[in-house]
Amino acid sequence: MDDSVFRNEVQAFLTESLTPEMKQAGELMTSVFADFDVAMDWHKVLYHKGWIAPDWPQEYGGTGWTLNQRYIFQEECKLANAPAVFALGLQMLGPMLIHYGTQEQKDFYLPRILSGEDSWCQGYSEPGAGSDLASLITAAVRDGNDYIINGSKIWTSYAQHSNKIFCLVRTSKEGRPQAGISFILVDMDSTGLSVEPIVGLDGTVEQCQVFFDDVRVPAVNLVGVENQGWDVAKYLLEFERGGHNYAIDHKKQMAKINRQANSQYSSGNTLWKDNKVFAAKFADVAVDALALEFTELRVKGAFEAGGNAGALSSLTKVMGTEIGQRFNELSLEMMGEHAFVQQLDALLPGCEVEPIGPSCGLTTMAEYINNRAATIYGGSAEIQRDIIAKRVLHL
Amino acid sequence: MFIEYSEEQSMLRDSADRYLRDNYSFESRQAAIKEVRGFSADHWQTFADLGWLAMTFPEEYGGFGGGALETMILCEQFGKYLVREPYLESVVLVGGLIEAGADRALKEKYLSGLIAGELQGALAYLEEGSVADPTRVQATAEHSNNGFAISGKKTVVLNGPEADFFVVSARVGGKKESARDGISLFVIRKDAPGLSCNNYITYDGRSACELQLHKVAVDKESLVGDLGNAAAIAGPVFSHGIVAVCAEALGAMDALLAATIDYTKQRKQFGQSISAFQVLRHRMVDMYMEIELTRSLLMATAWKLDNAAPDADQCVAALKAKMGKAGRYVSHNAMQLHGGIGTTDEFSVGHYFKRLAAIGVMFGSRDSHLSRYSKLSV
Repeated sequence: MDDSVFRNEVQAFLTESLTPEMKQAGELMTSVFADFDVAMDWHKVLYHKGWIAPDWPQEYGGTGWTLNQRYIFQEECKLANAPAVFALGLQMLGPMLIHYGTQEQKDFYLPRILSGEDSWCQGYSEPGAGSDLASLITAAVRDGNDYIINGSKIWTSYAQHSNKIFCLVRTSKEGRPQAGISFILVDMDSTGLSVEPIVGLDGTVEQCQVFFDDVRVPAVNLVGVENQGWDVAKYLLEFERGGHNYAIDHKKQMAKINRQANSQYSSGNTLWKDNKVFAAKFADVAVDALALEFTELRVKGAFEAGGNAGALSSLTKVMGTEIGQRFNELSLEMMGEHAFVQQLDALLPGCEVEPIGPSCGLTTMAEYINNRAATIYGGSAEIQRDIIAKRVLHL
Repeated sequence: MFIEYSEEQSMLRDSADRYLRDNYSFESRQAAIKEVRGFSADHWQTFADLGWLAMTFPEEYGGFGGGALETMILCEQFGKYLVREPYLESVVLVGGLIEAGADRALKEKYLSGLIAGELQGALAYLEEGSVADPTRVQATAEHSNNGFAISGKKTVVLNGPEADFFVVSARVGGKKESARDGISLFVIRKDAPGLSCNNYITYDGRSACELQLHKVAVDKESLVGDLGNAAAIAGPVFSHGIVAVCAEALGAMDALLAATIDYTKQRKQFGQSISAFQVLRHRMVDMYMEIELTRSLLMATAWKLDNAAPDADQCVAALKAKMGKAGRYVSHNAMQLHGGIGTTDEFSVGHYFKRLAAIGVMFGSRDSHLSRYSKLSV
């Protein structure tokens, strides 16, 4: 199918399927996450259409689209303000199970991920193990047919909404730290498991800390081979780092900035769009964004040719997040004091609260604040630069 | 030049530092901002009792006759301890305008209340559509029987919810939106008929409101400054406001650098303190250098304002521009080097970051002050 025909088909579907509340949820996103309940409604619409897992192989429920088509789909969803689907099960665990899982695990978990019956969160970081993930100490000790888990995971996004968590746990203290790690699947309603919400700087809860106090998990929930979970984790991290198209986020940011520049005044009767200093600064970031977009297309080309993104995924993660932060800064400068208002109830989709101040600035400060985390999570900008130094430049 | 603190100024700095260190914990601040009022009435009363609220007012009205240096000394400590109390809004801006432009009766009526901590004021000068531009005024003041009738809408009135009265800008006569001429300032009590507030809180933990004015009657004596010439008094007061927020920002940046040094020494990854990594050490050195350059500019600017130096305005523009850059660099890197913990509401680092984000755009962003600087220096 011609790409433009495909694009039309996607657009028609989005026009028909996105409810006003869903679009509002997309519009009001102030981080990578949308309102959970509305995003889940959207998940179900996509599931019934058969479009919930474009990145999966077709035999497991994928769409069979080309990489170009998948890119077009992501782009159209974003620009139509579809709420982001909570994707850890779809983007992380699913591909991993397809690669490493047993037949039973695939048969049981994959359909539940597709339908949205299970929502998965990710238990990687620990209070003492962030950038140095391999130093994690949450331990799983074998006891008959079970493992008993003790410890804690932190920065667990949307754990409060999830019914399952996939974890990296220590099953051996022998050898290198990487050598004693295993990958295990845990029910959130297990006895001894508790969730503590972490209030973020914008006043909302996206992150949690998850505590394990003698949590008993059947040994069949182990994925892959005991003590070889690090390979699984690395495979997954490449998905986290390489699977995201930052150029699409940037387009949404630029569209927003455009609305602000056309409605807000920098001084007197000069709209921001006519402010020469602003125009030059915007162009500076936009050119970097364009260069990144073509870089992402190169990566996609390499994938299509059967290659691997390799360390280029570190490059796109660093540049993609840093460019996004620069757009946030521009947006804040444009809205100025009008971005100060913290009106959390007006950020809930379906609310009927009248926004205070210009509606194009409602999310500006929260986006600026929340997006500082983008260069921290998923491998910090410093860790990514180390990866490039080692694997590309061989330093 | 260069500046040495007088004995009184050193004492002011030391006593502010000591009082806030002993009595103004981050935890108590966070508890207070969740209350309706948003700050501690007890602290505010103590600030008054210690003479801080009186520091910059003339002696004949019960003040100590201090200037920009005293404002700087206090606000730097306020920034360091993340003080939420509305010193900028009520004392520096509203108090400053009344002192600069009100007639004797109005001064006697309001300054003593501000100094005693009994009255709170808020400046209502911003309007929709434009940022930090005090000349974009569409609110109007029509002549009526004994004075004026004020109508219009004001936005982002900081400290509005707590204010007993407002200083409001409105245009007298012609309706030109952006001319400096024709703008006047009026004192309006909160209980004046025709005035209504829509209160809210801000991301940096302060309070603000939108102000609707519908034919609010004020008498002639409520005029602050000459009719149609608000710019003459607002300019110098805004310069003091810029010194105040930049001093606050400097204190906040000092606190962030200290916290970052502490944290990176304690935090161990890959078997060592992360402060041992050269890339992080250099980042902290760059934070330090940005802070020290800003400090020099701040002290010089405060001194020049107090001594009416011919290049004072230029220095004010330079200071706000420099602070914009330094504040962003220091706060972003403090967040980055703290990692996840810095993004939480529970930890102070993110609150300093949010305050610096707000200060960065108050009274004009870096770009607008760079433009002003180049206009003044060419």
